[in-house]
Amino acid sequence: MSRKHTLLAFAGSLALGVAGFSTSATALDVSIDEIMNDQASGGDILSYGLGPRGQRYSPLDTLTKDNIKNLYPVWSFSFGGEKQRGQESQPLIKDGVMYVTGSYSRMWAIDIASGEELWQYDARLPEGILPCCDVVNRGAAILGDKVFFGTLDAKIVALDAKTGKVIWRKKIGDFEAGYSYTAAPLIVPTEAHGPLILTGNSGGEFGIVGKVEARHPDTGELIWSRPTIEGHMGTLNGQESSMTGTVNESWPGDMWKNGGGATWLGGTYDQGTKLAYFGTGNPAPWNSYLRPGDNKWTSSRVAIDVETGEIAWGFQSTPHDGWDYDGVNEFISFDMEKDGETIQAGATADRNGFFYVLDRTNGDFISASPFVQNISWAKGMDENGRPLYDPENRPGNPTESADGKKGKSIFAVPSFLGGKNWMPMAYSQKTNNFYIPSNEWGMDIWNEPVTYKKGAAYLGAGFTIKPIFDDYIGSLKAMDPATGEVKWEYKNKAPLWGGVLTTAGGLVFTGTPEGYLKAFDDETGEELWKFQTGTGIVSSPITWEQDGEQYIAIVTGWGGAVPLWGGEVAKVVSYLNQGGSVWVFKIPEGLASR
Amino acid sequence: MLRPLTFLASLCLIATSAVARELPEDPFESVMWQSMADRFMPGGDIVFDNKVIVMAPLSAENQFHVPITVDATALDNVEEIIAVADLNPIPLVLSIRPQAALSYVGFRLKLQQTSPIHVGVRTSDGVWHVAGAIVDAAGGGCTAPAAAHGNSNWMQTLGQTRAYAGRETLSNARLTLRMRHPMDTGLAAGIPVFYMNELVIRDDAGQVLAEVDMYEPVSENPTLTLKPLVGSDESVLRVSTRDTEGNVFEFPLTVPSSAGL
Repeated sequence: MSRKHTLLAFAGSLALGVAGFSTSATALDVSIDEIMNDQASGGDILSYGLGPRGQRYSPLDTLTKDNIKNLYPVWSFSFGGEKQRGQESQPLIKDGVMYVTGSYSRMWAIDIASGEELWQYDARLPEGILPCCDVVNRGAAILGDKVFFGTLDAKIVALDAKTGKVIWRKKIGDFEAGYSYTAAPLIVPTEAHGPLILTGNSGGEFGIVGKVEARHPDTGELIWSRPTIEGHMGTLNGQESSMTGTVNESWPGDMWKNGGGATWLGGTYDQGTKLAYFGTGNPAPWNSYLRPGDNKWTSSRVAIDVETGEIAWGFQSTPHDGWDYDGVNEFISFDMEKDGETIQAGATADRNGFFYVLDRTNGDFISASPFVQNISWAKGMDENGRPLYDPENRPGNPTESADGKKGKSIFAVPSFLGGKNWMPMAYSQKTNNFYIPSNEWGMDIWNEPVTYKKGAAYLGAGFTIKPIFDDYIGSLKAMDPATGEVKWEYKNKAPLWGGVLTTAGGLVFTGTPEGYLKAFDDETGEELWKFQTGTGIVSSPITWEQDGEQYIAIVTGWGGAVPLWGGEVAKVVSYLNQGGSVWVFKIPEGLASR
Repeated sequence: MLRPLTFLASLCLIATSAVARELPEDPFESVMWQSMADRFMPGGDIVFDNKVIVMAPLSAENQFHVPITVDATALDNVEEIIAVADLNPIPLVLSIRPQAALSYVGFRLKLQQTSPIHVGVRTSDGVWHVAGAIVDAAGGGCTAPAAAHGNSNWMQTLGQTRAYAGRETLSNARLTLRMRHPMDTGLAAGIPVFYMNELVIRDDAGQVLAEVDMYEPVSENPTLTLKPLVGSDESVLRVSTRDTEGNVFEFPLTVPSSAGL
């Protein structure tokens, strides 16, 4: 029984020919210039935040307030498996391919024209990972022919963008000590080293030490490292470079050794100042009586020289934090017109409930305006932006209690989940407003004794969250950064936990835990469009142009910190179902002009 | 623009490679034989050849570890050796390019069910010299979780190695190694694919002696025997392996001089 194989051989070589050709014709090569120019180029999304400054503003204007009513889904892609949980990812787009990450350190490449999967990568996670606040991932970075993302066991992995195969994989921290990584890496240009890939770290609830690290994108080789906590040494080119701060300047005894300050939300970059801006998280432990002093640089913004890893300036929004006002929030560079001047500004909406505007060249304080109501922990700010504390509203010292086990409980606003948590705001170059996804809630909080133990929660506090208003917690606000005035507000029953996008077409997009992707009028806050995705949204929407049409995409899947920590808030979210999908929308052909 | 160009490019390839190939009858009567030949032994003619010796048990005592030894030293100019387990959900087990090594390999594989094993040995003229065996096995070798996962700290022992290199003749060494790795196939529920996929043996000057591509069906804790060529002096073999997560494991092995032989 022998057979001729002409037909099969023919088919085999045909497939080979097509594959071989298309690979060479579309070989991916993303340059650093393209990444720096990402915001202006509507055809791709090459950075977290739609541009290195993270403004989440798109110049596309095909979608308008008038035609948004015709926006319909094109396809939906399921992440599959049993590993659903929170999906906080922002996809990247290049050459008709979407790169999107998901819960449990997974990543997919999807052909946008068809919605079909090109490849999937599942990180092989060890047992015993310690993510504090759900198994999320917030997105990838792209450069050359590689895509990069961080995994829950505190590794960064570089994948071949065509195949999803691992090119290199490096350790950011020891997962058994509580380190993990969930943010999107940041790619920056340097003169000395070429483009570098910057990462932060997570684990502030486990007494880790915050760090920013820069690696060579081809090899993963460490170029520099900058700890955020004073007393710890930085490195440059394999040598010790300089210490962050001075030992015991703002920390007592040995407490700085497990001081927290996690850079868990990644960073932004401004080409003008050549600085990378990273937020730093809460000091560890939460019980502030164990660490008298300002505890630098926790709950701060630090600006880092990307050539050397030296801190150019720092601004501490909550010195000696006692409420987990984990001020890690993104710092967005923008040019502010005020009193006829153009100021090189940057803005950040802090967990502590204040919206800060700083001079992005030197960190000088310009203004702080409350963006949530009933703030109780501070009475206001002094002229340098240092909070005027209300001592009555700092949780009490447990050593002053009768049995030494529990300090006086107080009610503080906002709650430790923040006036704004991780979810990124957007800045419109059209309206000059910031659009802030915020929450109106407070907490009962008290302190307890605690000692550091590797891999164990290092809090020394108990807490429970309570809504402030009966009818809503979530609040999307338009804020004028020059005046601190709230222009409009959209109220949402459940807490908002997703990022915001705004466009030159006059639209503001965000998702809700109730499952709706919504579009608002950027000037009035009027709700213009919504679509029910079938599970909660806790991610950041994107928009891009392909074949002359404007697309919108959002990752869906309920989760994140709210269902894990939500206290009394659980009442409004406990019925929400998990998921794991990407939805892609556009206006059907012929309807864009209507 | 793209479409017409693509068409032309495929036409050119067809013109050079669409040569009909006689597929000999399979002595093991595998229902997958045609597919195995098309997928894993492309190009040149295929002949069943008794110069290729495949040693395998008639019946697998343990379907997770089925020992196979291939000796093709009777053939000259061997460029590649591949092994497939026809009825495995993932058939391709490994591929070896013995640049400066004897055409000999010992390894262990996982079997999902009773299956023919085909070994193809490609010589420099492009011809595949094929032999094989049928191994009787209980089910489930590829879809069960690795034994390592019974242990919560399995990742700490990843890459731990026991290896030995001895001198076999004046001109070749015999190298046996066993490395800790779960070799997850991605087919067990909830466990993503994760396996050691590359192994390279170099001499002390960095010259490649043999390269092995491993795939999912290689047994947990891969066990390999190879016979690299060496000079008569004491020499060092440098072994380097990498897994699908980019973990790299490297170690040297010393081969004694021929003086004691």
